[in-house]
Amino acid sequence: MNAIPVPKTSWRQRAVRRAVSPALFDFWATRLNPLWTLEQPLARLVSRTAASRDAVTLVLRPNRHWQGMLPGQHVNIGVEIEGRRLVRSYSPTPLDDGTLAITVKAMPGGVVSGHLAKAARIGDVVTLGQAFGEMTLPSDTDDLLLLAAGSGITPMRALVRSLAARGMPVKVDLLYWARDRADLCFVDELNQLAATHPRLRVRTLLTRAGVEPERRVDDVSLESIEDLQARRVLACGPGGFVEAARGRLQGYVAHFDAEAFSTPATVEGEAGEVQVHLARSGRTLTLARGTSLLEGLEAQGLRPRHGCRMGICNTCACGRASGTVRHTLTGDRDSEPSTPVRLCVSAPSTDLVLDL
Amino acid sequence: MARIKNRILSAAELQSFGDELDALRARVAADVGARDARYIRRIVAAVRWTGVTGRALLFLGAFVHSVLVPAWIVGTICLALSKILDNMELGHNVMHGQYDWMGDPKLHGQTYEWDIVATGDAWRKTHNFQHHTYTNVRGMDDDIGYGLLRIFPEQRWRPFYLMQPVIAVFFMLLFQWGVAIQDLRIGRWFAGKMKTAELRRNFRPVGRKMARQLIKDYIVFPLLAGPFFLPVLLGNLVANGMRNIWTFVIIFCGHFTADAEVFPKETIRDETRGHWYLRQLRGSSNIAGGKLLNVLSGNLSHQIEHHFYPDLPANRYAAMAVEVKQICARYGQHYNTGSLPKQFGQVIWRIVRHAFPSRVRTATLPSAALQRG
Repeated sequence: MNAIPVPKTSWRQRAVRRAVSPALFDFWATRLNPLWTLEQPLARLVSRTAASRDAVTLVLRPNRHWQGMLPGQHVNIGVEIEGRRLVRSYSPTPLDDGTLAITVKAMPGGVVSGHLAKAARIGDVVTLGQAFGEMTLPSDTDDLLLLAAGSGITPMRALVRSLAARGMPVKVDLLYWARDRADLCFVDELNQLAATHPRLRVRTLLTRAGVEPERRVDDVSLESIEDLQARRVLACGPGGFVEAARGRLQGYVAHFDAEAFSTPATVEGEAGEVQVHLARSGRTLTLARGTSLLEGLEAQGLRPRHGCRMGICNTCACGRASGTVRHTLTGDRDSEPSTPVRLCVSAPSTDLVLDL
Repeated sequence: MARIKNRILSAAELQSFGDELDALRARVAADVGARDARYIRRIVAAVRWTGVTGRALLFLGAFVHSVLVPAWIVGTICLALSKILDNMELGHNVMHGQYDWMGDPKLHGQTYEWDIVATGDAWRKTHNFQHHTYTNVRGMDDDIGYGLLRIFPEQRWRPFYLMQPVIAVFFMLLFQWGVAIQDLRIGRWFAGKMKTAELRRNFRPVGRKMARQLIKDYIVFPLLAGPFFLPVLLGNLVANGMRNIWTFVIIFCGHFTADAEVFPKETIRDETRGHWYLRQLRGSSNIAGGKLLNVLSGNLSHQIEHHFYPDLPANRYAAMAVEVKQICARYGQHYNTGSLPKQFGQVIWRIVRHAFPSRVRTATLPSAALQRG
């Protein structure tokens, strides 16, 4: 359900593409304006404001190659730090003037979140991917129950704002968990919307504040929610939160959709097996964590392109959408979705999605 | 020719030789970052700016006839410089995946394309894989004489090679075309080992790239100068020729100097990492020079370091060379280096000498030199 049509390329764009490579065009065009590229969606940071104790809201102005998004979707944002382009997914709020607002909380040890929350300056340019994700509203007829934990509030905020702009056509209950008051984002805005729109009810649950912490999603009381069984439930938060919500509500409510954001898992050792999904051929294989991907894939009867088998020639380098690999010679682990994986000297450390 | 003595390493020594070189790799790989990204982006900028300056000067000369000669000379040099930087320090190194860690799709080794008639895809196969994995192994590394020249006495002599001093000159002038068709293995077609249909199929991407380059340099840009197309066309021709000569010189100095060795296929059987390093060392030669030579040769002036670490950013080789040299000295291994005239003089001597029948001197049998203890 992609409501945003792909813009047609004009004959002029096609002619330019035949004549010059994006690398050549972008080199000269970005000298005039850092957002002028032939194909690459980019955005410029136009404002930053504090959103909570350690979170900031950044407003990004995309260039014309970015095809827009539906509220609740995610966008991959690439930031260059120490020479490396690091890509992370965010759930922006599309604003009326065509800009995007993302709220970033500096995570402990989080290179990108730390950079965006503290170091990013107005005028900085980031790369954008096209929007993806299913946390969208297929219709305006189902009443909603929105469950958010931590940063999981960001797609919910986008959904609530978009519903408010259309006069809140359905009943919406938003339950928002955070550790303490200082961790909450958008509370003023959400409460204000709830005050204007009687059909919207917002409840914040703090798990580490006061004498009696609030209950978590697995045993919180949902009695006050009317017609719970008829609701469409959307949940977003860390993996454990989403699983708990799913275990409690899936099958009981009308629809249950969820998205979990995961931090790159660091799994020690080389024992066990992982699931490796090959995105292009649509296959999922179970491979041992102790052997290189090339050997593992070959043992399953596949013949991925390769050369030297010793990490020298780069022939087997292939794109990776997600997951961590371990370099078989150095033991280094790498989780960057934007850097290619050399199959012959990489063993899967976690579940992987490869561009094969 | 004076021959060097390499100490024969025991299995344990070979192991620690490899370990020390691996440790150097790990140290540098861990340090790669903003500095290297800045360096390669500066090279990209240098390619673009020299290219546009060169072309602008050629047009200036074409239209303002009073400055035709100086503008043409400087313009042609700038354009040649742009192509040399693009092919060597940028294209060659990026295609090795040296800057893949940056995550910049414009600098991805697997997809990079360069300003030369050879396709990036063919290069990735013949150079990155065949040449770098099987460096100077007879029958496996097509770069040994490119199937055209007899550089080593180990190659069987045929009367055809008597002409090779002349052939080498033409090969040098047309080097980019030689590289472009290398992977087609036309010799196999002549010998009847390849069907015409297969050759035609393999030629299709190569032909497209050739057409693109020809149209760009010899039709589009000259036509932009209208009636004064000739100086532009000649400037492009000479710039391409200068690049051809320079790349030929640098590449031939890398593996065909007097002390460089070739190896029989048996050497790579059960090759350990230490042994692999040793083979790379014996088959490669550096060119001593300054920073300018390093940049213009795409750091192939550090051919030894490049063959040890083809996937590390080339701008690191000069600093790594200090330690590599020490490690080689400690293990009694010759580190082949010399000035450009000295190294290329040895290449010319090889081309001339081995045009005539020659025999491997038993004392310097490479299999003996690469013996494991």
